[in-house]
Amino acid sequence: MITVYVVDVPEFRPMVETAEGQDGVRVSGPVKGYWTIEAATELRFNRKAMKMKPAVWYGIFTGGLNGEIADWGRDEVRVVGTNKPL
Amino acid sequence: MTETTDRLGKREDASSAKTFNEAYGISDGAVAGLKHASSDSVQLSLNGVDHTARPTWKLNETVEFYRDILGLPLVHAISARGWGPPGHHDFLHFFFDAGKGATIAFFYYIGSERPEKYVPEEHHFYFATHTAWAVETEAQLVQWKETLEARGIKVSPYTKHEILESIYFTDPNGYPVEVTLRLRETELIDEVDARLTIQAAMETEAEARAENRLLADIDTIWRRKAKLVDAYKGAPA
Repeated sequence: MITVYVVDVPEFRPMVETAEGQDGVRVSGPVKGYWTIEAATELRFNRKAMKMKPAVWYGIFTGGLNGEIADWGRDEVRVVGTNKPL
Repeated sequence: MTETTDRLGKREDASSAKTFNEAYGISDGAVAGLKHASSDSVQLSLNGVDHTARPTWKLNETVEFYRDILGLPLVHAISARGWGPPGHHDFLHFFFDAGKGATIAFFYYIGSERPEKYVPEEHHFYFATHTAWAVETEAQLVQWKETLEARGIKVSPYTKHEILESIYFTDPNGYPVEVTLRLRETELIDEVDARLTIQAAMETEAEARAENRLLADIDTIWRRKAKLVDAYKGAPA
């Protein structure tokens, strides 16, 4: 299971908006200022779809990431599940 | 007379300092043994910037750049014999207006040449030491960029950070200057999130240090942050 927490501020809200409605992705919240985005095996974010500037893109997991970044690029990131300790 | 002003009247001044360390209040940097703010009832606070200061070995170019090219008024200048710590050069200390009472200040040390270690480097470690000067509107930020470029200064593209949008350029000394627009005010959630991020970083950094290694990556901090946010969300309000 992959869990991404997104702080509920304007800069990061496109992560929530683009995750909502994706197959296999569950979005809930915000609870106490954090959205929760969950997926079973894989989760992707696309910078251009989120209309996000690079300086924000490179910090998109600042809210917390229980998962492993499998591919990281300037425009797309793919996260998979991990057993690494939190 | 109040107790406070009485104490101010009797306070020591820097001319009594016998050493460089004493004159500048230089400690060994250790925080173990220092008392936390929570241990007394005193809430210290600051009220914005008075001045920033850096050394210059390019007096004429610095004045021309800040006063004549940027157009920031020269509002104060100190010229003095060297005093205080032993070996202090005679010096100039001069100030350009940066708005809201703040100034951009420089020291020029008479008869000194720039040591090698003060030569600017093209490295992010070097550029980390900078001051960001505020503008109030997007129109002002655009005006700064377009006007500086029209005056021949090389200016960075606009960079939108999370709550700031900035432009950067360098002065004749090679010092970076940032002009920035605050995009929104910070809210309570920003403070909560900052506390959790820094807690995650401090914990993982301490663990790495205990194992005599460096923190591997930001992902390590992000994973710990997930654990902390999970606990924070589940904790009773």
